[in-house]
Amino acid sequence: MAPTTSMSRRPSPEAAAPPAIRRKLGVVLIDPLPVVRAGISLLVDGRPDMEILAEAGDGKEGVDALSRVRRSRVVVLVGLGLEGEHDASWLIRTVRERFPSHALLAMGANADPTMISRALFVGADGYVDKNVDPVDFLGAILKVADREMVLQGPVAATVGQIADSIELRRDLDVRLTGREREVLAVAAEGLTARQIATRLGVRERTVTTHLGRIYGKLGVGNRLSAIRMAARSGMVSVGSLE
Amino acid sequence: MILGVVRLACDALPDVEIVAEASSGPAAVEAASSLTPDLAVVDLDLPGIDGVTVLRSLRGSGFGGRIVVVSERTDGATVLDAMRLDVDAYLPKPDGLRRIGEAIRRVLEGERAIDPALEQAAVLELGRFARQARESSEVDSSLTPREREILELLAEGLTMQQIGRRLDISPRTVETHVANLYRKLAVRSRVQAVSRAASLGLIELR
Repeated sequence: MAPTTSMSRRPSPEAAAPPAIRRKLGVVLIDPLPVVRAGISLLVDGRPDMEILAEAGDGKEGVDALSRVRRSRVVVLVGLGLEGEHDASWLIRTVRERFPSHALLAMGANADPTMISRALFVGADGYVDKNVDPVDFLGAILKVADREMVLQGPVAATVGQIADSIELRRDLDVRLTGREREVLAVAAEGLTARQIATRLGVRERTVTTHLGRIYGKLGVGNRLSAIRMAARSGMVSVGSLE
Repeated sequence: MILGVVRLACDALPDVEIVAEASSGPAAVEAASSLTPDLAVVDLDLPGIDGVTVLRSLRGSGFGGRIVVVSERTDGATVLDAMRLDVDAYLPKPDGLRRIGEAIRRVLEGERAIDPALEQAAVLELGRFARQARESSEVDSSLTPREREILELLAEGLTMQQIGRRLDISPRTVETHVANLYRKLAVRSRVQAVSRAASLGLIELR
């Protein structure tokens, strides 16, 4: 049966001629570490029911690779170690937006609850830790393919903390304006009000006004407490706090 | 019934003694803060009071000891709530009661003893929770300040006319804003709009 339209999606397995076997689950692997990619590729390609469709070492490349994938039933593995402008959060948001039918599994190495909450908040369907048994790792991919929430690894014990962090993030997002969030994110890098002003192209007075409003809305007395709260929610990265 | 089971279980554990028994939330909080026990066994199904509320007031009162929960409630939302209150063990009734002695022992040794099926239910709930949080933040950032203002007034129960007068804009303009608001919230009526906005945490109902 020839495709009748220019739609990129293939006919679903049910619609196709009697399928002897279910189509392999496609996996797209995006992680900054080559050795990790190599290891996961071996694992996935060693299974009869999955295959690696593409891999990439950074977020931008990952999206390019995904736009060439013409398949349904795809799981995108996103390494939380991706950094820079096109970091893991950016990638997860972008995949959610541009490829909403793909399942998204975040993976990290002993990620803390805040990192996991951030990944889930921006759109991951689950999280798997790289330190789990390979069988469990593959099991997590299969589960998430059916859009079932997965939390695999020692982090399962921190479900409560992850939920707390997500709720805090939601509250901060709702309470603060976009501009205020931006100011807070830059403040978290440790910049002075004047430096923040320069970065955002506004006057110093405007920045201090924003900061004052932020403290008021968060019910805190100073910048450090505001940044702590934002860090706990996963809204800003904690690196600069340590 | 639970008290009896817990007594028996504790008798069998050499290093464990019961210092207090309480049959209501306030009594439990009172006992926990005056005796500061190492561990509390909490039945979430006390009559007349929500078990999660008991846990919350226990933690809220500063009780930092370990908590073992037993309950008939095995839904993800309840288990997740309990996990957010830092419980160390969660056993389903009635089957889990058989393992209560073992759970107490493990928890005192620093382990956790959440029934795996219940933990799985909590993880699924966490997925829903994350999705809803994301949605609420997306809807929130799509609203203009004016729409947000009107949403608050709708929640207060003002009519379109009253809102127009309050904001000094024409009823027609209010209608346009309200239509946009409904579209963004994906609802068709004021009641739906208010309840959806409340469930997304965008407004607080007083």
